[in-house]
Amino acid sequence: MADEASTDKAILMAAFARMDPVALAVALGSIWALMLFLATTILLLKGASDGHQVGTHLGLIGIYLPGYDVTWAGGLLGAAYLWVIGAIAGFFLAVLWNLTHYLYVIMIVVRAAWWKMMAE
Amino acid sequence: MIDKQTAGSDSASEDTINRQLLHAVVRLNTLLLAGVFACVGGLSLLVLTFLSLYRGLPRPGHYLNLLGVFLPGYSVSHSGAWIGMIWGALIGGLLAAMFYRIYARSIVAQIHEYRVNGRSRAGLLGVTLRFDGNHLGFALGSVVALGLVVTTNWLVLRGTADESIHAVLLAQYLPGYSVSLAGSIIGAAELFVTTYILSLLFSFIYNNIARVRGRDPR
Repeated sequence: MADEASTDKAILMAAFARMDPVALAVALGSIWALMLFLATTILLLKGASDGHQVGTHLGLIGIYLPGYDVTWAGGLLGAAYLWVIGAIAGFFLAVLWNLTHYLYVIMIVVRAAWWKMMAE
Repeated sequence: MIDKQTAGSDSASEDTINRQLLHAVVRLNTLLLAGVFACVGGLSLLVLTFLSLYRGLPRPGHYLNLLGVFLPGYSVSHSGAWIGMIWGALIGGLLAAMFYRIYARSIVAQIHEYRVNGRSRAGLLGVTLRFDGNHLGFALGSVVALGLVVTTNWLVLRGTADESIHAVLLAQYLPGYSVSLAGSIIGAAELFVTTYILSLLFSFIYNNIARVRGRDPR
């Protein structure tokens, strides 16, 4: 019986587990940075056919990330940009996720308190 | 004999309750994640569209406009930005819900771990989420691979496969990809593998930083 009681608690713990905002920020920032760096690197290593410029389409990311272009330096700059953007996105994503859970728990507690008060 | 039967039926009803609780939990988290990603998806497309409009370029949103092929009514304009926000929210929410329904399979292992390690005696809200790299990779990989198959074959069904000069550029990263059914399946398989590997790396980074920061993932 005690084991069963711990099972339902474990289910709720898994449901309401908090995200670590700093860990998510670093992880997401690193992955996004790596993705753009690899995308740039692959194009640079492949090169372009004669008379064409490398990565004309990927280079359009420079519209959103000033200074970015498909060069080694641009790849590093883009990676730095995406690290920051990914970190901000990750941090807010974790905060938003935790906040929705807290709000949900608060809503349940308030509703239970309300019904208890009405019953009395 | 009667005691054994009573104990057996008690245990069966506890199992049923736990199963129902687990389903409710998965449903709740699916809804919450879908809500979060609906906000993120909608706002992202809104911001990108307005950034394109106000960057002062000669042909604002020339390439972003291509999204209109997949999102009817969308264009890089003021009204298009709001339509895009609705599409972004719908697609963000739908993809997040699909993702969580697949990823939720890892919850069973987490629950087992909490019980075995006695962590279920800790506070209810005191546990830090730990990503299961394999499940994350499988869920994310499935969603993005399906996304590639659907979008590519949408171009094929519209009869604009030969004109899709931008989509075919994906072959730079996914060798063998083309705007065709076979090409989309090859591309989807490669994208699945890439996403799976990146998810493993992402989980490794997240879990280790959370562990170092003194929150419990191992």
